Amino acid sequence: MRHRRALELPLREDAAPAPRQAPGPRPGDVLHPIVGRGAATAPAELWLAAHLSPEARRAQGDLAAPSPSSQQDLERLGARAQRLTPRVSLDLPDSLLLEVKGSLHLFGGVEGLSREMARECSRLRLSCTLAVAPTPLAALALARAGLKLGIAHPPGAASGSLVVTDPAQLVGRLSPLPLAMLRWPQDTLGRLARIGVRTIGEALRLPRAGFARRFGTAQLQTLDRLVGRASDLRDRFEACARFHRRRELLYELESHAALQAVLAPLLEELGEFLRARQCGVLTLECRLRHRAVPPSRCVLRLAAPLADPAQIAALLAERLSALILPEPVRACELRSGPLVPRVPGSGGLWQPGEQGGGAAAQAPELIERLRARLGAEAVHGLAVVEDHRPEAAWSVREPVITTANVQNDLQSDPKNPPSRDRRPLWLLSQPRQLNERDGLPRRRGALRLLGEAERVETGWWDGGEIARDYYIAVDARGARLWVFRERGPPHRWFLQGVFG
Amino acid sequence: MTPEVPYAELHCLTNFTFLRGASHPHELVGQAVELGYEALAITDECSVAGVVRAHVAAKGQQLKLIIGSELRLACGLKLVALAADRRGYGRLCRLITRGRRAAEKGEYALTRADLEENGLEHCLILWLPPGSSSEEAHLLEEARWLEERFPERLWVAVELLREGMDRQRLETLQRVGRELALPLVAGGDVHMHVRGRRRLQDAVTAIRHNVPIREAGRKLHPNGERYLRERARLAKLYPRELLEETVAIARRCIFSLEELRYEYPHELVPPGETPASHLRKLTEAGARWRWPQGVPEGERKAIEHELTLIEDLRYEPYFLTVHDIVAFARSKGILCQGRGSAANSRVCFCLGVTSVDPLRGASLLFERFISRERNEPPDIDIDFEHERREEVIQYVYDKYGRHRAAIAATVIMYRPRSALRDLGRIFGLDPDECGRLTKVMQWWDGGEVMRERLREAGFEPDGSLLARLLPLAQELVAFPGFPRHLSQHVGGFVISEGALEELVPIENAAMEGRTVVQWDKDDLNDLGLLKVDLLALGMLTALRKSFDLVNGFRGTRHALGGLPAEAAEVYEMISRADTIGVFQIESRAQMAMLPRLQPRCYYDLVIEIAIVRPGPIQGDMVHPYLKRRKSGEPISYPSEGVEAVLKRTLGVPIFQEQVMQLAITAAGFTPGEADALRRAMGAWKRSGGIEHFREKLIGGMKSRGYADEFAERLYQQMLGFGEFGFPESHSASFALLAYDSAWLKYHEQAAFTAALLNSQPMGFYAPAQLVRDARTHGVEVRPIDVCVSVWDCTLERQEDGEPALRLGLRLVKSLSRSGADRLVEARLQQQFASVKDLAARAALDRGDLEALAAAGAFTSLSGNRHLAFWEVAGTERPLPLETALADAGTNALHEAAHEPAPLLRTPTEGERIVADYASVGLTLGRHPLALLRESLQSKRLLSSRELERLPHGRAVRTAGIVLMRQRPGSASGVTFLTLEDETGQVNIIVWERIGEEYRLPLVESRLLEVHGELQRQDGVMHVVARRLIDRSPLLGQLITRSRDFH
Repeated sequence: MRHRRALELPLREDAAPAPRQAPGPRPGDVLHPIVGRGAATAPAELWLAAHLSPEARRAQGDLAAPSPSSQQDLERLGARAQRLTPRVSLDLPDSLLLEVKGSLHLFGGVEGLSREMARECSRLRLSCTLAVAPTPLAALALARAGLKLGIAHPPGAASGSLVVTDPAQLVGRLSPLPLAMLRWPQDTLGRLARIGVRTIGEALRLPRAGFARRFGTAQLQTLDRLVGRASDLRDRFEACARFHRRRELLYELESHAALQAVLAPLLEELGEFLRARQCGVLTLECRLRHRAVPPSRCVLRLAAPLADPAQIAALLAERLSALILPEPVRACELRSGPLVPRVPGSGGLWQPGEQGGGAAAQAPELIERLRARLGAEAVHGLAVVEDHRPEAAWSVREPVITTANVQNDLQSDPKNPPSRDRRPLWLLSQPRQLNERDGLPRRRGALRLLGEAERVETGWWDGGEIARDYYIAVDARGARLWVFRERGPPHRWFLQGVFG
Repeated sequence: MTPEVPYAELHCLTNFTFLRGASHPHELVGQAVELGYEALAITDECSVAGVVRAHVAAKGQQLKLIIGSELRLACGLKLVALAADRRGYGRLCRLITRGRRAAEKGEYALTRADLEENGLEHCLILWLPPGSSSEEAHLLEEARWLEERFPERLWVAVELLREGMDRQRLETLQRVGRELALPLVAGGDVHMHVRGRRRLQDAVTAIRHNVPIREAGRKLHPNGERYLRERARLAKLYPRELLEETVAIARRCIFSLEELRYEYPHELVPPGETPASHLRKLTEAGARWRWPQGVPEGERKAIEHELTLIEDLRYEPYFLTVHDIVAFARSKGILCQGRGSAANSRVCFCLGVTSVDPLRGASLLFERFISRERNEPPDIDIDFEHERREEVIQYVYDKYGRHRAAIAATVIMYRPRSALRDLGRIFGLDPDECGRLTKVMQWWDGGEVMRERLREAGFEPDGSLLARLLPLAQELVAFPGFPRHLSQHVGGFVISEGALEELVPIENAAMEGRTVVQWDKDDLNDLGLLKVDLLALGMLTALRKSFDLVNGFRGTRHALGGLPAEAAEVYEMISRADTIGVFQIESRAQMAMLPRLQPRCYYDLVIEIAIVRPGPIQGDMVHPYLKRRKSGEPISYPSEGVEAVLKRTLGVPIFQEQVMQLAITAAGFTPGEADALRRAMGAWKRSGGIEHFREKLIGGMKSRGYADEFAERLYQQMLGFGEFGFPESHSASFALLAYDSAWLKYHEQAAFTAALLNSQPMGFYAPAQLVRDARTHGVEVRPIDVCVSVWDCTLERQEDGEPALRLGLRLVKSLSRSGADRLVEARLQQQFASVKDLAARAALDRGDLEALAAAGAFTSLSGNRHLAFWEVAGTERPLPLETALADAGTNALHEAAHEPAPLLRTPTEGERIVADYASVGLTLGRHPLALLRESLQSKRLLSSRELERLPHGRAVRTAGIVLMRQRPGSASGVTFLTLEDETGQVNIIVWERIGEEYRLPLVESRLLEVHGELQRQDGVMHVVARRLIDRSPLLGQLITRSRDFH
């Protein structure tokens, strides 16, 4: 693709640094640089770039890499910056762009506006370098360069050297900056370095057609955007918040029923909020404010993301009913945790209870209900653990229901069937020591050992080493017990479980 | 009391069933002897890799060793096959080979079809019935299938391991046995020699499954019953007849590894000749070639003597094999040279295996290396040009076929590093933590310092993790080390007359097209099977290329071993330590020794090569030797015998053979004991075990009248010698190559340097140092140029008729060989007019063009690098059709041809140097430090030339590019550095304490500043470092690659 520009400027002799080359330009050659000096377009816009310094992020335990936490910082800053101009854009991973031309007069020009922005940064304890230029890319490049060269210290203030308001000066001011400020792929930068081109100015002096063919039209477009020869459209930033609504009450409430009525519209709002975003919540906090004492809090933790206001209301009602109010309530507040994308389920063909209308889909609801009523700690799931030690062969875990888990538990390794036929269903959580006489165990009388020993020696790696000989024993009443004798001294006897 | 019944364990895995078995073969044998077993079968899974070790351990014991193997078929059927006799053993090896060859390295795959085909005749089969949960129908199916194939030699193995269902299991199997009229036999499924290995067995199981041990669960055995159980215990568990059956089976197995006889390939001897007569003929023909004027009388006698000895020991086929391979290499113009005990014989000299001229320098007695009494097989390693060894290997495969030739295995053992890494992983440490632990533990001595270090690394020295992990690590690495897997020996070939796979199973190696036998070098040695080592040696490549270049340039006919001998000027150069590029004596340790030892003849070189080794250095042999050499005072020997052994090295033992011979001469060791001593010395550092030799050595010497002091000193020297002694027989061959390369360096440095560059990677120095060295010696080196250079570095005639060195395209980083070839071919038709012309006619892709531009190879076509890159970047890769059209001057190139050249900066000198290093690895411009000198001077840093003028003991500061870091295992934590600046090189010694203090600069610097003290000794200069500072940022982007040696 060949680009011809309308305004073709021959390169001026005094371009600095003075270029030299072995075979000089042949007479008659016309070189069409990407942009000559003084190339200008009307200053339709003015952009302010806020570049998050890596130290700011490192301070939060996050090494230079772009990460959710730096994105969160940017979003928080973006939300605040919307105060200064409606046109705010994120430039991930580490910059924020504000188009400020229209708001300059409101905040006292470039200086006043950057002061406002710096203030927002410091409120969030973020360290930023600010720069102002007629194009977004130029502002970004200046801000990055400013950070790199340490111009903008103390951080936050836009130093004069990082402000370009006159489009006529733009090329001149950008020229000495290293090309690396454009964040081109390392490969492209390397290839440019190999023809001796390391600064933006040197790149801008290359012939358009030759540059495009060698380094790609995308890069050429970037240069055009940089100097304002091409428009640079930016997505507008929209703050995406968690749900947070507060309702002041006209009179103080004391009854739970009344509370629920007051909360209902808030919950409806929450439902709409979630539906619009195709999201659900895993945690929800309800705060009830009182006159003198600190607010009562009621936190819902869910096993699966919920979005249905009716379900949420039901669960909340369970929890609220258990809450003892120290004082009447004067205001209530709903705050959601982070939103979780939710895949809307399709309705089952069968109603619960009908043939095939499985309980699995209802399980989360049941668990939520039980947890809400009994407390989260009282309800837990069980998992089978592959371990020879009887007391380590199962474990307690969070009752999270997903289809994958259910299947995992149902399918055990067919090649390696655990020898459960010799295991009683009821295992004691801790083996109970048995009395003995003449080396034989007793429990309500002497026990009779059936059959041979099963030897288990294992578990040395986590401090739970065992070395035991297990037997099936029958007590005086004919109950079958699972007992063992320690292999090492003092060779005590223990009861491990009871067969059904 | 149950009366003890006789018992033979017929199902026993060693740790050669990698990561399953948890005991060494010798431990199992020892324990079986202890327990009074009548026999022990070693039945590793689809392998006989551990049987030789068991065989050696069982020799002379009251225990019969049976060879067998556990096999699991794809359908799940498991059995143990025991070799009843030699034929059965052959069938078993064949089946194992089949299974192993059909699968990836380390795996095997066998099916019922394989078993039907092979039949395992003369093997006894124990069926291992599947686990307790299997249905009886399934059991019957397996049993019937086996019964049909192996009538009268099939047993049902009953393995009662106290897993709770033993009684039920026994009853089931008894029913199956009755139904099919199959006898039952007891078995132990033994994985370890004693119960105490249970934890280790669990650990290796977890490693094998690559799961953390706490998640290994049922992959582990529920208990530790799989050990060699006491017979009384067995008698309680098993019906007596099942135990008696084991012994009955054992008695039917009469095969012993002693029966394996190695038969040499018949094709080596022409019809009508015996091996002896043929070897004699070849030797005599060779003698006439070596001594065209007639064989000197003394030599004739010596040859006769050697031939008689060879005949007596029946080593002829071995010499014939070696001769055959060498003759092939010679016919292909591949340089080769033998070394090793038998290589320095007149016979080998006549056969052309070596060029160690018996008349040259020292007289090397044949019997010093091979003797009637010492029953060890002759050892000849043959080195070939490293780039062409594969041709020789393929010749061997072609000549004998893959069923008769294979490479010996190397058993890779657990070392502290690998043991800690694997154990760390199963204990749930992340790789980072494993790394830290390994690092600290490398120097673990249990002392307080180390405990502190462990804490620093984040480990509690007395914590439960280490308490569990360390004993296991110790068991894994304790001598001789747990085997992890089989790898390929560097070049040890086994060739047999019959099918090799009936001698020992063959399995796939990791390398494509390579196969290895399941035994390693020592195993083959122990069974008296001979092997030939075919090794690769870079210097031989370089020498052949040197000869080709010199002979082509000057019309001479130089050849290996044919250069003018004992040239004084060459030794002069060597004694100046001017030896960059010279074989074996170019390392900095060697260079430091050369001016002190001042080699003046061939045998001095033999000593020089052997003395700069960890053994002599730690045995404190260097200084006494140098002192005696310098003073020339007479040496008194405690006896004539000792004098005979030590005279040639002035009374100081330097070679490995001398230590062996001293043990024999002075302490009365038998040759076999001396060999055992050699092996033990190799291991004592790791495991101890040499102490019991001490008594015998010192006692033996005392009883022969040697003074206590002499005996003790000798013993201490041997300890220091350890495994690091270098054999004279190898040094003698290496010295020849050292001399030839030194001669070439002195007389033909341009050709020699070109050859070294053309043989990279090899040797000690990178191209940059080789070229710099050549230029300091006045060789003109010309840059890479697309209009002149070919792939290799070449010689060009200067005006005065002397050669200049033209760098070749091979030095251009990431240039493809095929692209370079097309370039040279296109240039032959017509010289290039421009970069575009070149790109079109040579059909080079962008990558190749950029590589050439980066190397500055277009300078004569396009001017500077920047312009070259601009042009290259604008070149489209022509389609094949366009290539044809390009000559007609059409198409895309047309357009580009009209493009005006932009104004680009000329590269600065710094940029040129950086680019040179980045692409070619060397620069013909100034040294990078020359550009930095001013700023270095302002930091009061001295150049290497300035250091040369300073006296011993002066405190100095210097800086240079780090060429090499060496941390020899022998030198207890000392690191040696070589720094280079524009005026030369400086050697730095960093003691352990300083090395620890400045670890980061020491390890990471490319440009290093050193403060320290200048030291001089015998003309050798070092700086002993006190402080190190990383100055790499000064280099900017300068790319230097240091070669690190450990």
